[in-house]
Amino acid sequence: MTDPIGAEQLLKDGDLHTVDSLGPVEVLVGVCALNQARSAVHVVEAAAEGLASPLADRKCGIVVVEAGFRSETLDAVGNWLANRVPGPPVCCVRIAGPPSRSRAVLGALAVAHRLGPAVCALVDAGLVSLTPEALGRLVQPILAGEADCVSPSYTHTASEGTLTTNLLAPMCGALYGRRIQQLLGGCAALSGQVVTQLLGTEARDSDLMGHGLEIRLAIDAMVSGSRIVEVHQGRKTLDAGLAPPDLATTIAHTVGPFFRLMDRYRSFWSEGGASTLVPRIGDPPAILPEAGEIHLERMVRAFKLGLKDLLPVWEQALQEETLASLYPLGLLSPDEFVFPAEHWARVAFDFAVAYHEQRLPRDHLLRALTPLYLGRVAAFLRETQAGMPARIPAVLEGIGRVFEVEKAGLAARWR
Amino acid sequence: MRDAWSDVLVASFRDVVERLAHVAPRLLAMVAVILIGWAVAAIARRLTVRIFRMADLDARCARWGLTASLSRSGIGQAPSHVIGQLVFWTIFFVALLTSVEALEMPATAGLAAGVVRFLPNLVIAALVWMVGWLLANFMAQAVLIAAVNAQVALAPLIAGAVRWLVLIFAGAAALTQLGIAREMVLLTFGIAFAGTVLALALAFGLGGKDLAREILESRIRKRDGDDDHLTHV
Repeated sequence: MTDPIGAEQLLKDGDLHTVDSLGPVEVLVGVCALNQARSAVHVVEAAAEGLASPLADRKCGIVVVEAGFRSETLDAVGNWLANRVPGPPVCCVRIAGPPSRSRAVLGALAVAHRLGPAVCALVDAGLVSLTPEALGRLVQPILAGEADCVSPSYTHTASEGTLTTNLLAPMCGALYGRRIQQLLGGCAALSGQVVTQLLGTEARDSDLMGHGLEIRLAIDAMVSGSRIVEVHQGRKTLDAGLAPPDLATTIAHTVGPFFRLMDRYRSFWSEGGASTLVPRIGDPPAILPEAGEIHLERMVRAFKLGLKDLLPVWEQALQEETLASLYPLGLLSPDEFVFPAEHWARVAFDFAVAYHEQRLPRDHLLRALTPLYLGRVAAFLRETQAGMPARIPAVLEGIGRVFEVEKAGLAARWR
Repeated sequence: MRDAWSDVLVASFRDVVERLAHVAPRLLAMVAVILIGWAVAAIARRLTVRIFRMADLDARCARWGLTASLSRSGIGQAPSHVIGQLVFWTIFFVALLTSVEALEMPATAGLAAGVVRFLPNLVIAALVWMVGWLLANFMAQAVLIAAVNAQVALAPLIAGAVRWLVLIFAGAAALTQLGIAREMVLLTFGIAFAGTVLALALAFGLGGKDLAREILESRIRKRDGDDDHLTHV
């Protein structure tokens, strides 16, 4: 454990005074923004309302941390502050350095460490579905001493969060033994102790790229044995802000940090056994029927194009038998397309090993996963569209089990 | 008659022996230089391979895509071994030239010195070419992945074009460094580059307008794809 990263290392003096003006707080909400002026005010307003009513007897504060290159977010929140009704104190700060969502999270954590709250809630400035009640549900388990870390779970359709449902969550369950619905839920709550522990772990620059710190936050909590609970937060709507990243970049920014953490926690996952479900507080999230049209043929076409043109790249990442199992899939039409979870799990673990061994430039490797992922999503959506939404949890559990089976032998390959 | 014949024979024999006696030390020196050169080259090869293996060059080259490129070019050996071979042959080649100098033949006078003077340029040109090669592979792979992810139908063609463009540029730079037909290389490269750009512009504008439309449509379709209600994270 190293010395925790302090706010004084990340903030300018002026911003430090602003943060200190909040005084010691019991509950701190960190609104993490990356050029999200459009939605930030709505999120801050919901957070302020959430802190005002049920937590009125506690000292609360909100800090808006902008890690982007534009000042519109802070201006918009400043304008709202000038006309607001009285409520919990709000301050706005800017984090220097390359724009990244993880930097905003790091800033919020550092402010939390400085102010020493019992609970720190982290909320994405684009989470427009956040309601005052949802914020209350997020912080309550920690205030009640029932948990150290609270993760959201959402009611969703099969086509929402497919990278999470098909890769991040099942791989997390297989490696770290906890079946959690969201690794990147757009919000989370941590106890003060977890915040200190997280900031004390050696932070590398690579942790601050993309969603690196958000993913580390969840996995660190699992590895350290913190008490994690899930609370149902309704539907999730996230406004990605000015420049939403394309799919390949999203994969690089989420799967990359996840693979990187596999190096750090090798001793943990190489000994782990079967996974357990993270305890839930409140109703379980529902699965809704698909509302819009999904163009499966486009995804299948992307997969086939990848199989035709990206073979030289995939040959370097995948084992021969994994690659051989993909060839027949290229002959299937969109109506009959399948990409079995077993094949997909092997692809995911092969890519993790290739990432670890740096067989290719890592960014190239992660981006080359895109057509494979689209193929898997097409097959997953075809499978889930064919049945009732009630069947989907069983399908998701099945994917998790397959990842646990396919994990066998991974430690031996991790040289 | 017999005396004259034997005189000529003895004189010829003496002449040959004298010449051999004159050349033999040089021949011996030549053989010695070759043997010493071979030994030094072999030791240098072994040291080079060991140093580059210690520096984890083979794994790094695999990461940079160099090993795959070597393999595609028919060189199945590890990069550290290839560099070791290069070092061996460079030293051995210099030793061979030196050994030829040892013969003191008028035709080869100053040959080794000339080649050694030229070596720095050769090394720089080789470095330029190697960096160009690495860059070409890296860029071609990046373009290939980006084009496939954008669902462009001719992704390998575009990646190949990028690769060759960078390789040609690196080749021209290396030749210029060597001073080989400098003006001709510059002129040829300029004409070829401008011609390629013009040809691509014409091909894309006239012959490839359908492809241009397809690419633009696929981009617009992709933007429409947001209507899929598909969220990934």
